[in-house]
Amino acid sequence: MGKVINGLDIESLSSLLDEARKNKELVQKISKWYARVRWAGTGFTFNSYVRNHSFTISEPSELGGPDKGPNAVEYVISALGACYLTGFILNATKRGVNIKNLEIALEGEIDNILVFLGISNEGHPGYRKVIAKAYVEADCDEKTLKEIWEETVRTSPVGNTLARNVEIVPQLSLIK
Amino acid sequence: MATVVNGIKLEDFNALHEELKRNAEFVSKIHKWNARIRWAGSGFNFTSYVRNHKFTISEPSDIGGADSGPSAHELILTALGACYSTGFIYNATKRNIQIKNFEVAIEGEIDDILVFFGLSDKGHPGYKKIVVKAYVEADADEKTIKEIWEAAVKGSPVGNTLQRGVEIVPQVSLVRK
Amino acid sequence: MSALFPVTVVGSWPRPKWLLDALRKKREGKISEEEFQAIADEAVLIAIKYQEDAGVDIISDGEQRRDNFYSFVADKIEGIELKTVAEFMDFAEDKSAFEALLRKLDVPAFAIRSPIVTNYIHKRIPLALNEAKFLKEHTNKKIKVALPGPYLLTRSSWIKGISDKYYKKKEDLAEEFSKILREEIILLRDAGVDFVQLDEPVLMEVLYGPELSVQTFMCAALTAKENPRDELSFAVDILNKTVQGITGVKLGVHICRGNWSKSEEAQLKGDYYPLLPFLLDMKVNQYVLEFATKRAGSIDVFKDYPTEKELGLGVVNPKTDEIERPEDIISLVKKALNYFRPEQIYLNPDCGFGTFAESPVNTPKISFLKLKSISKAASVLRKEYS
Repeated sequence: MGKVINGLDIESLSSLLDEARKNKELVQKISKWYARVRWAGTGFTFNSYVRNHSFTISEPSELGGPDKGPNAVEYVISALGACYLTGFILNATKRGVNIKNLEIALEGEIDNILVFLGISNEGHPGYRKVIAKAYVEADCDEKTLKEIWEETVRTSPVGNTLARNVEIVPQLSLIK
Repeated sequence: MATVVNGIKLEDFNALHEELKRNAEFVSKIHKWNARIRWAGSGFNFTSYVRNHKFTISEPSDIGGADSGPSAHELILTALGACYSTGFIYNATKRNIQIKNFEVAIEGEIDDILVFFGLSDKGHPGYKKIVVKAYVEADADEKTIKEIWEAAVKGSPVGNTLQRGVEIVPQVSLVRK
Repeated sequence: MSALFPVTVVGSWPRPKWLLDALRKKREGKISEEEFQAIADEAVLIAIKYQEDAGVDIISDGEQRRDNFYSFVADKIEGIELKTVAEFMDFAEDKSAFEALLRKLDVPAFAIRSPIVTNYIHKRIPLALNEAKFLKEHTNKKIKVALPGPYLLTRSSWIKGISDKYYKKKEDLAEEFSKILREEIILLRDAGVDFVQLDEPVLMEVLYGPELSVQTFMCAALTAKENPRDELSFAVDILNKTVQGITGVKLGVHICRGNWSKSEEAQLKGDYYPLLPFLLDMKVNQYVLEFATKRAGSIDVFKDYPTEKELGLGVVNPKTDEIERPEDIISLVKKALNYFRPEQIYLNPDCGFGTFAESPVNTPKISFLKLKSISKAASVLRKEYS
């Protein structure tokens, strides 16, 4: 095993990057992602299955749910935060910067939730703004930190997904 | 006895509905959502804290992760699927339609993942297209089910978030303990 | 007979930058305990001078040697460790309370620490005896020493999943803290301390925390499930057990609504009314309470609860920049005189000026002017009521 930074083996990381550069099949594979969500059969509880992982999505009790897990909009900001952290670790490791602590606090603001409930037509029920505040403890100067962060934000899959308009294709089938 | 549809007491359901119509303070409270994610200290492993819930986010092994949980971009698909599901159950219950089974399969396609790795700057590393397939089993006609699904899609917070450009405000600070 | 309306402080004074540097170096092990104490001596002398010059009658050492009013015990009591919120977040039952706090403070979980019980506890060295001795040697004024109350210490340091291996219930741990504090109060009295104040800010959190979902990290174990009445009764019992039968020193209890940032909105809000029946059961001589901030509500809460105890009346808000005028202070005191006799009333700020070392709520200059305003008001009042 070679040099390890931030728990990542530098040699494996660069061979992964090489592979991504050359191997079209791998790139195709990691360009498609899947999930399945099932209603648990009662109230606002859903189970999600992603590869070998499964987890629960619910609603807080004040919104009539049993609060068995975070809700969908909370998962969205969690996904954004995790995506930024993933990119941050990748970009810091690439530069040989050791991170001691990394944490991100997210706050999303919905435009008009009443549209979801069908009691308003003004605005839209999605997030209009998400603030993502990262806190880093690392032995590096402010300039390097800024570079890592800016690259991370610019190349974030979830960040780009949210900041652009994604085409969503909803399909329905009734099973008899 | 109280009427229960889809496991939801209609009495509570209607009371909540009324509350949302009247109580502006409550509505403004549920406009803001928070999460905090911490790096677990090694590799691509993160813990997310949402209210009293916590869960792990990681990367699959073919991207150099420990695969200790779903990845960020998979969570986005899940969030969209769960949001449509929530909207579906909500709108079905509102119309007093009992649902037997509900499931969605979600598939997302990234525009150019190489941008994320810093190996390309042609496209962008986000999803360009997401297909959400819903399967419903219920004692209702196609038309009603279709209406419910359309209401769920149209009113979906996550769907709207993804279809519109969200303003993201990224901030970073170096913390010295 | 001593003068009416004695002027005193709640405890902390903003620390100079060089003291903060020394505190950090001590934590990182870059300077020794002795080196740190020598630097802190200098800071205490400055804090003494400010208070004496402002005309304070009963002074403190400004808590210069502590990182805050309660976690300093980790250095003195074995079995307690300072842990970051990141280290115990997974164990905290009410994670959302911590989230609300981190958001208010705009800090990451890895940057704030709390003392957590990680073993059986026992006192290694006295908690505040050295502070008291140094203060006593360097002033002719009467002196006050603040200690974290037994309920605060229990609530802040007992975490299910970590501490319950040693103390099954938080009540068991409270007994131990009570013994340690009782010994300390006696040591302080014997060293010539005039006034010992027990800080119990968490009591306001029991009442007003859960609904507002703004809690302090002083309340690691607090969950919305707890019944406030049971909690308050428990707090009263453990405090009384701590002070029972101790004479020869004035004993006070200080209860406030948070003092961790300058922002008024970041602190708790609500009057003392629901707390008073419990407060009156506490076997102390004085209640040191906030009344300058609007968040504390009206002093008329005493209408239904007349008492013979003393009132440490909070007359200036340590968090604001404007200096309260003596006439404002006097009119507040006159309202208190509807429910208290002149000899029952002491004057003090609502809270300390530098509760948390790294985030003092004011500068030494403004803190000084606020204290000076109190002593001006006191001399006017003395003429009128003597």
